Amino acid sequence: MGIQKGINKIVDAVKPTLGPLPKIVAIERILDERMPELLDDGGTIAKRIIQLKDPNEDVGAMIVRDFLLNLQDQVGDGTAIGAVLLQYLYNESLKYIVSGGNVARFKHYLKEGAEIVIDNLFNMITPLEGQEKLTQVAKTLCGNEELARMLGEIFDIIGEYGRLEIRAGYKRSLDREYIEGMYWERGVVSREMISNKRASKVVLNNPAILISDMEIHNPRMLIPVIEIAAKSKFRSLLIIGEEFSDSAIGLILSNNNPKKLKIVAVKTPGWNPEEHAEAIEDLSILTGGKPFIKAAGNSFDNISAKDFGFARQAWADKYNFGIIGGKGDPKTIRKHINKLRRTHEETADPVVYEKLRVRIGKLMGGTAVLWIGGDTELEINSIQEIAKKTSIIMREALRSGILPGGGTAYLDCKSVLERKLEDSSETDQIAAYKILLRGLEEPTRTIIRNAGYDDSEIIAQIKKAGKGYGFDALSGKIVKMMEAGIWDTASTLQSAFYGAVTTAIMALTIDVIVHRKQESGPVIPRTPGLKKRIKPKSKLG
Amino acid sequence: METVYSIVASPNFKNDGICFAACQSGLYKSEDGGNRWYNAFDSLNPRKPLTTTSVAISPAFETDQTVFAAVGGAVLHSTDGGKKWEATVISSPVPYISCLSISPGFEIDGFLIAGTLEDGVFISTDRGKHWKPCNFGLLDLNILCIDISSQFEKDETIYIGTESGIFISKNAGKAWKETNFPPEFGPILSISLSPNYREDGTLFAGTESYGLFKTYNKGNEWIRLGENIISEGINSIILSSTYFQKPEILIASGQKLLISYDDGKTWLTFKNNLQTEDEIICVAAPQGLSEREPILLGLSKGGIIKV
Repeated sequence: MGIQKGINKIVDAVKPTLGPLPKIVAIERILDERMPELLDDGGTIAKRIIQLKDPNEDVGAMIVRDFLLNLQDQVGDGTAIGAVLLQYLYNESLKYIVSGGNVARFKHYLKEGAEIVIDNLFNMITPLEGQEKLTQVAKTLCGNEELARMLGEIFDIIGEYGRLEIRAGYKRSLDREYIEGMYWERGVVSREMISNKRASKVVLNNPAILISDMEIHNPRMLIPVIEIAAKSKFRSLLIIGEEFSDSAIGLILSNNNPKKLKIVAVKTPGWNPEEHAEAIEDLSILTGGKPFIKAAGNSFDNISAKDFGFARQAWADKYNFGIIGGKGDPKTIRKHINKLRRTHEETADPVVYEKLRVRIGKLMGGTAVLWIGGDTELEINSIQEIAKKTSIIMREALRSGILPGGGTAYLDCKSVLERKLEDSSETDQIAAYKILLRGLEEPTRTIIRNAGYDDSEIIAQIKKAGKGYGFDALSGKIVKMMEAGIWDTASTLQSAFYGAVTTAIMALTIDVIVHRKQESGPVIPRTPGLKKRIKPKSKLG
Repeated sequence: METVYSIVASPNFKNDGICFAACQSGLYKSEDGGNRWYNAFDSLNPRKPLTTTSVAISPAFETDQTVFAAVGGAVLHSTDGGKKWEATVISSPVPYISCLSISPGFEIDGFLIAGTLEDGVFISTDRGKHWKPCNFGLLDLNILCIDISSQFEKDETIYIGTESGIFISKNAGKAWKETNFPPEFGPILSISLSPNYREDGTLFAGTESYGLFKTYNKGNEWIRLGENIISEGINSIILSSTYFQKPEILIASGQKLLISYDDGKTWLTFKNNLQTEDEIICVAAPQGLSEREPILLGLSKGGIIKV
């Protein structure tokens, strides 16, 4: 009972935020007496609920919290949908199990039914392509025509992988800029190499590029490199290495002659061997150079002119270095990008997923910058925040496609499950499918109720209207959802549904709860970020 | 005259007979419809021939007398029909310009685009005075051909053909996106957009080894045309100005000129009297694709034929 109460408490806090007419949830602050925080998104509300007093209820609440936070991390949205689905599925399933259902068989059929729904959602997906459609989607998300136009153009060009920076601008209007080339967070090894002191930057035109992760302690290691560069009449040379001793830097500086051979050295990008290897691979493909790898026992002794990579331009400052117009083989670059894309699609690790996205974006040739203008700083910040949120969801929509919103996609899955139900004969299967069927209505019903309408009446009208139709809470009308621009990202709906089912199953199987002895003192939030910032008063002294 | 890389004619060719040819040995001008040619760079007194890889003429040539010529890494421009020239170096390091294209609304927007070998594209929006590289999203910097939409002022669309694919910009070159053209069919030697591109989304691409391709949906899907007939590299494609009513396409393939009157379904030899053993590098049809009207052909071993 405690777990159920905990689940219901947290879901009831998130539930009012579902739909386009969300109700505000006020959360009391823990550490000060300021006005309560007013929130309208499920993920943040879940984050703020740190602990319930009753330890049994707390277990239920934390199960929901964990599910919602994971959902937000993975797909950026869908927490309110996930919460209402979880609540309904858990409560109804518990009722069935208490009345004597076979837990193991019931769970099996619940999961089986969920897979049928997920497959059906997958078949309904509309891919998001073309500037026009992207602009329309952006407008639905942000409600700002100019911002939507910019984001539509940007995402049409950069796709789901491209690099987008959203910065505060100095004009009143919005603008976009496309910056060519890619850069890595590693700067020059000596400030003496920066020729343009005013710009704090050194630029190399048509540089030869030595790509390595070598630790260059002995300056002699560099002599064949400099000799071959001079012999090949290279005008500029960029040396990339893991470490440079003072004497190696001295050798570079003493041979640095801007009129004959300009030499700049930077450290290998990345903060660990794995990142070094990735950066070296990207750099060598991009510039057509041979990578010199320490672990492979490579040395510069027999280096030849064809081992260098080339680019139209390279630059470096104290913190970063960049390459513009790498002269690697375009077909090899494309193959490499496609390989990374496949890995990106297959990976389940969010950190690797983001890293790969950044790598692909870099290789695809630049950074799009969206400049946010406005009359006041407050307005700029607010548009910037909206643009950031919109771009996260647009990336996800580009990746996974879109489905009719407002719970309609779930309603449209019912017919498939109903047909399966007709063929079922086992009691646990019938019970599981019936709970899922009614559960699929729950997001739509909640949106209708949140908008102040009678859910049973409206659901009947939607059924009558047919597939693709749903309830537009803003106009109070039954509309064809996709045509009305009401949609959700496919991954959000799939993850919310599947996550709700598996979380409900997990919660149903808890038989015993073991509590730890509670130490007195202030509550420590359970997210690592907050833990760092908020410490118990006693420890602060 | 050695290899002829590009020929352009005045928009008022019927009356003024002016045309220019970019050649290995310089830029040549004709004022009598292509019968007699003289070196347009005479006023520069060059010590050695100025290899000219591309030439572009202003759509308002009649009034502004503006011509641009790509010479190595610089663009020369003349505002008196080719008598005097001024040079602008595109950038440092100096790129090798392979093609040059001018906006149909040049009189108002001053827009020019230059494609280079190895260094991508450069754009000028001030009538060639300043140039800047615009290669965002370009995965292949070897540019071989460019075409600009006839309604550029509205759709800001440019296509470029590269060693390994076709890229589109829908924002006047600020950024590029690869079309779905299969990279294995590159290099792309020629591109031509339908005069009604904005409405019909149609363009043609000529490849070095895989013939002619057409898309009717702005590069999303491509179909190969004349597979059994077109066997050699396609250096030039010209669509009739009334393509949307009469879908006529002229291509230069090897030593032949081929024409289709049914949007690429069937092909005929054009100008039966044409006899050359040289590869046709460039074509100009200043008065349309009628058999009666003159066609200017630039050849690989030098020389311009008027047929």
